[in-house]
Parts: sequence; C-alpha cells; structure tokens
Amino acid sequence: MAAIRNRHLGLIYVAPALLFVSAFVLYPLGQLVWLSLTDTSLLGGGTWVGLENYAEALDDRAFWRALWFTVKYTVVITPILMGLGFALALLTSQNTPLKLFTRATIFLPVVIGLGTSSLLWYWLLDQQVGLFNKILLDLGLVEAMPVWFTKADPALAAVIVSVTWKVVGFGMILFVAAIQSINSEVIEAAIIDGASYWQRVWRIIIPLSMRTLLLATLISAIGSMLAFEQFYIMTGGNPRGQTFTSVYLIYQNSFISFKLGYGAALSIILTAIILVFSALQVFLSNRSASE
Amino acid sequence: MTLPLLGRMALALSLSTAVLGPVAAHAETLSIWARASSSNAAQHMVDLWNASHDDKLELTTIPDNQMVTKLATSVQSGDVPDLISFDLIFMPDFMKAGFLTDLTETLGADPNQAKVAKAFQDLASYDGKLYGTGFTPDVSILLYNKDLFEAAGLDPEKPPVTIAELQDYAAKIHATDPDNISGYYFSGSCGGCNIFTQAPMMWGSGAVLLPTGPDTPVLDGPGVVEVLTMLKDMWEAGIIPESAESDTGANFTATFETGTVGMQGSGGFAISSLKANHPEMNFGIAPLPGIEDGQQSSFVGGDVIAIPSGARNAELAKDFITWSLTDEAQLEGLAKNLILPVRTDLADNEYFQAEPRYITTAQAVGIGQTPYAFHFNDMVNADQSPWLTMIQTAVFDGDVEGAIEEAREAFLDIASD
Amino acid sequence: MSAISQKSAPMARAQRYLVAAICVLVITLMLGPMVLSFFASIKTPAEASASPPNYLPHSLSGENYGKILDYQAGLSTYAGNSFLVAAIAIVLCLVLAVPAGYGLARFRLPFKELIFVLMLAPLMIPYQALLIPIYLNFSKIGLANSHLGLAIVHAVLQLPFSIYLMRNAFEAIPREIEEAALIDGATSFQVLRRIFLPLVMPGVVTVMLFTFINSWNEFLAALIFMNKESSFTVPIMLVSVRTGRLGAVDWGALQAGVIVSVLPCILIYVLLQKYYVSGFLNGAVK
Repeated sequence: MAAIRNRHLGLIYVAPALLFVSAFVLYPLGQLVWLSLTDTSLLGGGTWVGLENYAEALDDRAFWRALWFTVKYTVVITPILMGLGFALALLTSQNTPLKLFTRATIFLPVVIGLGTSSLLWYWLLDQQVGLFNKILLDLGLVEAMPVWFTKADPALAAVIVSVTWKVVGFGMILFVAAIQSINSEVIEAAIIDGASYWQRVWRIIIPLSMRTLLLATLISAIGSMLAFEQFYIMTGGNPRGQTFTSVYLIYQNSFISFKLGYGAALSIILTAIILVFSALQVFLSNRSASE
Repeated sequence: MTLPLLGRMALALSLSTAVLGPVAAHAETLSIWARASSSNAAQHMVDLWNASHDDKLELTTIPDNQMVTKLATSVQSGDVPDLISFDLIFMPDFMKAGFLTDLTETLGADPNQAKVAKAFQDLASYDGKLYGTGFTPDVSILLYNKDLFEAAGLDPEKPPVTIAELQDYAAKIHATDPDNISGYYFSGSCGGCNIFTQAPMMWGSGAVLLPTGPDTPVLDGPGVVEVLTMLKDMWEAGIIPESAESDTGANFTATFETGTVGMQGSGGFAISSLKANHPEMNFGIAPLPGIEDGQQSSFVGGDVIAIPSGARNAELAKDFITWSLTDEAQLEGLAKNLILPVRTDLADNEYFQAEPRYITTAQAVGIGQTPYAFHFNDMVNADQSPWLTMIQTAVFDGDVEGAIEEAREAFLDIASD
Repeated sequence: MSAISQKSAPMARAQRYLVAAICVLVITLMLGPMVLSFFASIKTPAEASASPPNYLPHSLSGENYGKILDYQAGLSTYAGNSFLVAAIAIVLCLVLAVPAGYGLARFRLPFKELIFVLMLAPLMIPYQALLIPIYLNFSKIGLANSHLGLAIVHAVLQLPFSIYLMRNAFEAIPREIEEAALIDGATSFQVLRRIFLPLVMPGVVTVMLFTFINSWNEFLAALIFMNKESSFTVPIMLVSVRTGRLGAVDWGALQAGVIVSVLPCILIYVLLQKYYVSGFLNGAVK
C-alpha cells in the first residue's frame, strides 16, 4: 500500500511525541550532563570542574553503598514480584466470579500512588501506633513486638512487603493476559497426554509466557533501580544510612546539600548503569527467544 | 491636658482618612511563605495584619523539609515571595548566598528590635548587616510527667537541674514498673529533634558543637561526652524504650502522650497540643538541665522573617516586619493565641497569666541559644547526618569516643565546602 | 480452563475448597491495609495516636477529616488543582501517544527502533534530577508556577508507558481491516480516526487512568513548580500534614489524608474496570 509505505507519513505521526521528548527530556538531560561537569550549587554560582565530580563519586563510600543497596533491593524484590505475580496469575486466570474478584482486589493497590501507599504502611508498621505488629502478636506469629526500622534487613523487608502489596498486581495482570492468550488446544493436548497440572505449568504455560515474563522483569527491575519514595517515606535512610538508594542519594546531594553538580554526575552514572543493564537484558532475552 | 484645637482637627482628619481609606493608593497583595510548623502562628499574624491594612498578605505553607529547596529554586528562577518565614538555622546559608534583602536600616532604627531574643539577633547577622528578625519562636524544654514523678517518690515540683539528677530520676521512674514505664524518651532517628533537645544539655557547660569553618572548634568540651554517655547508660539500662531507636520524629509527641514516659526533651509547642489532646495529663515544664546546676539552657528554634532578594513589594514587606515587632502584633497576634512572643520583654503577659508553664517557656527563649553554622542542613537535619550518626553510634552501639571522632571529621569535611 | 483432570471427585472438591480458601486469604491481605487505614481515619485524633492501637474505632469522629478539609487553603482547592493538572496531562498524553503509537505500529519508519528507544528514555533517568533544569527552563519561558507546566512534567513521566501501550494496541489490529479501508481510498488519518480509534479505545482508557493516577499522586515536581498555596495539589498537603513539627505526625489526620488521596483513584478504577483490564490485555502482551 502506497500510504503505508510512505515513510514521511509515519514520521508525521511520531513527530509530536518526539519533539516533546526532545524538549522536555533530552534537552534537560543535556543540561544535566553539562551541570555534572561543574560544581554548581543550588544556592547559586558554579564553575567548570571537568570530570572532578565523577572522580569524587568513584571515591565516595556513600555512593557505592547506596548503589550496592539499590542492586540488593532490586535483586531481592524482582523475583518476589515476578514469582508471586505469576503464582497469583495462575491462581486467578480463570474467569470465575471469585477469581475475578480476587484479581480485582490484587490489582487495586496498583491504582493508588506509591507515596500514599508508603505512608499507609509507614503507619501500619510503626512501632507504637501501627497495627501490623499487633496483628502478628494476636495471631501468635511472633513472641514480642518486632521493630522494623532499627536493623537494615528488617527495614528492607518492611519496604519490600509494602511495595509487593502495592505493585504485585501489575505483574499479575500482565501474566493473566499471557496465560489467557495461550491456545487452549495446546493445553488440551497435554491433558490427553496425561500431563499433571504442574507439568503443564512448567512445560507449556511458562515457556509460552516467557516474553511477557522477561519484559515485566525488565520494567520492574528498572523501576526498582530508581526506587526513592518508598525509602524516603518509610526508612529515611535508617538505620545508619544503610537504606539509602541511589536516587535518594541524588536527592540528598542536590536538594539537601545543595550540590547540584555532584547530584547531576550521580544521576548520569545511574542512568548509564540502567541503560547498560537494560541493553544487556534485551540482548539476552532476544537470544533466548531465538533459541 | 487637652490637645490644642488644631491638633484635634488634624487627628480627626487623619482618622477619617484612615476610615475612608487612601484616596489614590492602589492596594497591593503581598505573598508570604511559611513552613508548616509555624504556619498556624503565621496565619494569626497575617489575619491580624489583614484586618487593619489595605495591602493584604497571602500565606503559602511549605512542608518543613522542603523549605530550603523551594526558596533556593525560586531565587534561581527569579520568582520569589515578598516575605519568607523559615527555620532560623538556615539564616547563615541564605545570607551568605545573597538570597536575602539587607534590613540593617529598617531594623537598626527600630527600638523593638533590641528586645528580640538574642538568638534571633545573632542568627540574622552576617558581615555586620542584619537580614531578618524573629517571627514565631519556639524553644526546647524538658517535659515531665508529674504523676509518674509522684509514683516514683519524687517531688513533682522539683524537676532535675543537672543531667546526673535527670539520669537518677529516670532510673527511679523506670523502676516503678519496668515493663511499661520508661524514664526518658528521645527520637533516636531524628537529627532535628536531637539538636533541639540534647544539644542544650551539652552546651550549657560551654561546649561548642558545630564548626563555622575548617579551623574552628568542633564538638569541643566535656558536655558532649557526658550527655552522650548519660544517654548510652540509660539506653543500656532499658530506661529508654526500644522504640526510641527507630523513631524518625513521627512519635516525638505521641509517645509522651501515652503517659508511659517520665521525661523527654520537647518544645514549647507541646503545651498546647497536650492540653488539647490530653486535658487529663498532669505534666510539668522545666529548662533543659546542664552538667552543673545553673547551666540550664535551651535551643531557640522557630522562624525568622526575612525578605528574599528581588521581592516585588520589598518596601511594604519591611512595613510588615516592623509591625510584627510592635506590642500589638506580639500580644494580640501571638500571645493571645498562646504562641510565644519573640520579644523577651513580653514573656510575662496577661494572656499567659492563667498558664505559668507558658511563662517558663517564654523566658527560656531569652536564655537559649542557636548554633550559628553554615550547611546546618547537611550537618544536622539531613537523613543520616553526621550529628544523627554520632548520637546513634554513641547511644545504640555504645561507642561514645569513636562516634565523636567520626562526627568531628564529617563536620569539618562539610564545613570546608 | 476446560480441562477436566482425571481425579476422584472428593479430591477435586477438596482442591476447589483449597483454592477458594487461598483466594479469600489473598483478598483479606489485599484489602486489609486500606480497611484498617479507613478505620483509623474515623477515630478521634487521640485514639488514632494511641499506643497500643485498637483495630476498630471506639467512638466515631469526623475530626480528622475536618482537619484535612480545612487544611490551609482547603482540600477543595488542592483537589481542584490536582484534577486540573491531571486533566491537562491526560490530554497531552493522548494527543502525543495515540499518533505516536499509530506511527510506530503501522508505518515503516527510518530508525524505527531508535525512535522507540528515545521515547522510552524518560523511564531510565531519575526524573528527580531532571526537575531542576526543567524548572529553570520553564521560568525562562513563563511556564513555571503554572498548571500547564506541571502537567507537561507529568505527561513526560507517563509518556513512555503510554506510547508503549498504544503501539501494542495498534499492532494487535489485523491488517485486513486497514487494507479494506485503504482500497476504499481513505487517507491514513481517516483510517486512524474512523476505524482504529474505536478498536484501541480500551488502551486509550488505560492510558487515561494511569496518567490520572500518577499525576494525582506526584509530589516533588508539584512542590518545586508551584509557588502559591492556591495552586498546590493534594500530595503537598499530605506531606505537610505528615511532617508536622520536627516530624511529629498527626496519625489520624494522616490516615484521613491517605483515604482522601486514594478515593478518586479507587472510584475510577471500580467504575472503569472493564476497560482497564482489557486495555491491559490488548496492549501488554505482544
């Protein structure tokens, strides 16, 4: 079709979005790169320092610690979100009334804001006024009131619980879609061959949902690498700065310590890491898809 | 003594113009920003001004921890409010950055300025010039539960005057019911709360905490070690509840309100909120103790008022600042609403007569101090600031010396920027 | 699933009950936090800050909501601003993402992959860091302190997801439909408007919803960009309520704020659920 083959026609449709992204993302990103080469302060003033900020970042214990913590958070929470999301999708993929309702409630927290849900959990988990500990105690699950935010690992666990509650529905809905789009004939054939339910899951459902799984994993992992709000609201970096994420550190440097230039350099480094990581993931998933 | 006729006529004429309003002047609207903590007090002042002036003020409340960012970005973009009321500890940073309008002439000629609490006069000076004045002060005090004092056999009218007494009383209160009653409380993950409540105990004996430059004293004086050691001992003895460690300030007031805490450093604001939420509670207010008797001190917090550089209505804004220091504004705008006046000569006023605890607090504004430091945010208020890390390492990990050493380095590192 | 497994009837029934029990447990876990928060919001302020807490309010009180309603400029002002900004952001997002999705899905573009990756760029940059440059640019062209400026930022944040979703929605449409239209001599724009738009409607609704939710909840940009109380949005109020004095929290008012914040999102979700989920199903799996 002539109309479809016309390259310029397609560009006209894409142009507005492209211009918008250029003006409000790429151009500011360029400014951010320039900022990262200066020692600009939020209180004004700034001179060209070349790569000094980057050198400083490599020597900065706080930077490495935050990056390591962010990676740790991502590595821990991504499988939880994906695994639980997939399990819930298996549980609720048939359209019976009970399962539809279950699906709807699992997806419900996805539609509220992350900040709001963090505030909600911050209150639930509070040592003194929160109900979460009381529930654990009343159910006999714990002996004494646990304190969530005085040790790094329980604090991380608390944030993971709250974020899981908030976003597990996102993965689930993607996986439900994937499972429902699997041709039922394939499943029937497997049943006739005498495959048990778990064998069908393992041999048919998972391989055929692989693309969706990989994509959801990528989106989820990028989101976790850029985590900020949940830690800002729930832990404040406590205890002893062990729960600072990279974006949190960028926020601290730019807005609290006024070091815009340094904050910009940290942002560029983080963006580069995420880009490389995403490219790698796309490359690997393309390879596994072609096998 | 009667006024001469001419004078009376002039007075009548001027009064009638006041009633009829200015003939040709066009009324302006001024914008004022205040942080959430002080917005209640600021609103009373704004309402009082608006009731009697043609040029109206419009208040915008900014969340506390966002105020600095907000002002800095607005100055960068050239879109500033006419007046700004913010935490006085940020004064040095803003004056140094050239964010504020010089008010030396306006305030220098004002007799009321000399009566403003000294902490505010000090913090608003830079390079021999004045850039603001006190607006809505607050001050730290020791809050104590009189019922728990009595239960422990202590005299509820004799709060501790030294930290040794404080520790002793706390232990006795805790001993009355070790499972449920704590002797002392502090928010162990809140830098701001602790500079407000623990620092005065340190500097009462002359300790210097924050450096003002790369070669100035830092965490200097025995007070630092003594106070940290006292807190550590109380923590290890279980006198401070476990929940203190993770409190980022969220339960700075809620814990005392449960009636299970003997003593706690707090602020003047606690009086009003305790009376409103827990009218049954029998609590007392005292200055924060020092190492020796007579070294009681407090941290003067609260807000200064200043005019950002480039404000559109700077002249009118100056009128407001001058007006805010008058007896009328201090008494009818602040004291009447049970808010501390910033002028120490008005500490004992008719509105506070019914509640002597307010007078105690207002007098503390006069004896208190505020550290003059650049990068205060970085050193103290930021999440995981060196100040907070020091307290946590000393109290919860038990390493007082190491904690102080580490904080010294970090402070000097920040101060050299 | 039409599968009938070869199990004995009692076994199958036991299994069904087990699955149902798991569903009920999951529902409880998902709804519990919201329900508890709602109960806390209707306690008296003193009870909401009580330690140890109670599950159910002992006495009902609207005081927490009263605080939120009258907070500073008043909830109605904040909510009005939030709705306005979200509406502009939604319009921006659709005007940009629908054509872009169409262009990416149905045309041969030069550097198609590169264009697509560029559009996804905002996903990979910590947007908090971009706010300062954007804000300073906006103040030069008079967009700072305006609802439009804030809506632009919110649209930027939502654009990658929207374009991705629209592209997949357009790709899902069978080729034959389009070809029939083109044989009738329709232009590409007519094809988009008359034939495709109705087909991608679920995707459009999903984009609208997500843009609304994220705009409604965004805090940092709203705070930095707006200089007047009368133009603040709901999250700014929520953060102010939360910080209080030296961080001391008014727990009851906070939960009332949480409920007020989630209410519009939940209402919209419940009302449009049909679209919502199908938009996902069409858009996400390709």
